[in-house]
Amino acid sequence: MEQLTAQLNEVLGMFGLALWNDAFVQVVATVLKFAVLAVALLQIPPVMVWLERRAPALMQRRRGPNRVGVSLGPIKLRLYGLTQSFADAVKLIFKEEVVPEGAHKAFYHIAPIFGVFPAFLIACAIPYGPPIDVFGYTIPLSIISVDVGFLFIFAISSLAVYGVTLAGYASNNKYSLLGSLRASAQMISYEIPLGLSLIPIVLIYGTLDLNKIVMGQENFWHWGIFTAPVSFVIFFVCMFAETNRAPFDLAEAESELVAGFHTEFNSAKFAAFFLSEYVAMFVLSALCATVFFGGWQNPFISNAALASFVVGILNAPLASFGIALGAASVTNIAALIGIGVLALKAGFFMWMYVWVRWTVPRFRYDQLMDLGWKFMLPLGLANVVGTAFVLAALKF
Amino acid sequence: MISYALFYLIAAFILLCSMMVVVSRNPVTSAIFLVTDLFFISALFAKMNAHFLAAIQILLYAGAIVVLFVFVIMLLNLKAEELKGARMTVPEIGVLIVSAIGFVVIAALLGADGATTGGDGRWTDEAITAAGGNTFAVAMRLFVNFVWPFELASVLILLAIVASVVIARKDSLVSSGVGSTAPAQGKGEKGKVAHGTR
Repeated sequence: MEQLTAQLNEVLGMFGLALWNDAFVQVVATVLKFAVLAVALLQIPPVMVWLERRAPALMQRRRGPNRVGVSLGPIKLRLYGLTQSFADAVKLIFKEEVVPEGAHKAFYHIAPIFGVFPAFLIACAIPYGPPIDVFGYTIPLSIISVDVGFLFIFAISSLAVYGVTLAGYASNNKYSLLGSLRASAQMISYEIPLGLSLIPIVLIYGTLDLNKIVMGQENFWHWGIFTAPVSFVIFFVCMFAETNRAPFDLAEAESELVAGFHTEFNSAKFAAFFLSEYVAMFVLSALCATVFFGGWQNPFISNAALASFVVGILNAPLASFGIALGAASVTNIAALIGIGVLALKAGFFMWMYVWVRWTVPRFRYDQLMDLGWKFMLPLGLANVVGTAFVLAALKF
Repeated sequence: MISYALFYLIAAFILLCSMMVVVSRNPVTSAIFLVTDLFFISALFAKMNAHFLAAIQILLYAGAIVVLFVFVIMLLNLKAEELKGARMTVPEIGVLIVSAIGFVVIAALLGADGATTGGDGRWTDEAITAAGGNTFAVAMRLFVNFVWPFELASVLILLAIVASVVIARKDSLVSSGVGSTAPAQGKGEKGKVAHGTR
């Protein structure tokens, strides 16, 4: 065993690593964290599809899908229709794939990849909780932690346009092309106010690093929603436009464009576009929670205090088994609470997406562009200048 | 070691994509390869610890400028067949590949030190942390040390934008003729109406 370790260290040494040194642990942790995150993100579309069917049913006083279930002998599981989503996923994957005639073959196959790749990459930049403590190694719970966090998110999300544009171009279908032109023009237009809305946050917390922005919101009254309310309004509106969701779903207006840029896509390729849309929604929801609602922090009580309280309760019955939870467990339980809190906050905004979809009717295209360029952009600029003046005045 | 391997891998991708930008016959393919090219260049920046530059590179070039390229190409509706005369002959492709490989080899021979790979440059991880982080270091240079050249450059770019808008306008001051005779004005108005109905 020792010999094997020595040999492995020799190989790893060529890459500047050694078994169980700090750098090696971080590399392994990053791979593991990404695997866990990717699996977690794959669970979002089925649940959201279920929500998108059940929520309007709730609002329109009907039942919605509730029949599909799993039969395990005498036990029949229906789970309120949740299993319908899994039937859908199986259907999507096993459907015959039809490539339209006259399509640009290479782009047709690449477009879904261009759609999924940015969505997953941005999800890596969100801090999901305070650092955890595994065997004495401190591991941060965001996969990529660079000091240009915001810029990274905007840079990668600006690449999402290519998936949409290529899909429309490659399909050889006029509805696809119209849908993709609409979608990309909309995404480019609303990227600008979205970016402007976050500049006051950068000014107030004095950093581009998302981890530090979360730490700056430790006090409940320092949450972004209180320090930059106008920013929140702009961000919230742009969130819907950026993901092409109702009331800004001009890109796939069913009554005009069949299904927009993904009209000609089916089976797994359609599923990929579906996945990227829901992951993008989740990322923006999580970003909104991180920037304006304190990220993984609880209001009024710190995660660490809550965790030591939980450990205090758990320690009493565990003592009879001779187990005592130490400082590491407090850190890890605080991280778990953080993940849960962020998931709750992001989940609320995911629910808002569905809620708004079934409440507000679709905009006209010129109204959409007017709102973006003539209202959101000047408001965003005024917000940046105003915040800068207030901050400068407070320094005197 | 891993630093060098990464550098040459990224550099190979950059060269490959750059070549495909020039060689491919479909203009949209060229544009897409330009995007991947810019993406890998920013990966090189990130490898040199210039995270700010890497993010800005993707944000501005890949995310904004090339999107405009793609739009223009799609609206012009250029088809690959129209460019049939531009098809490359086999010897030409051979020359391109050989020169690309030659370039890689020469670059490897000349630049196999820290200056190329950014490994042992002035801005090491510690130096960046000491300077207050990537963004802070860049901001200090731009807005404190070199604020006047920076502002002058931005005014120059603004001038270029205004100038291009003036030239692009159909009913610009030059063609409508400020203080010129009546027929010229009438002509200008007629042009405007025709433009409007179109």
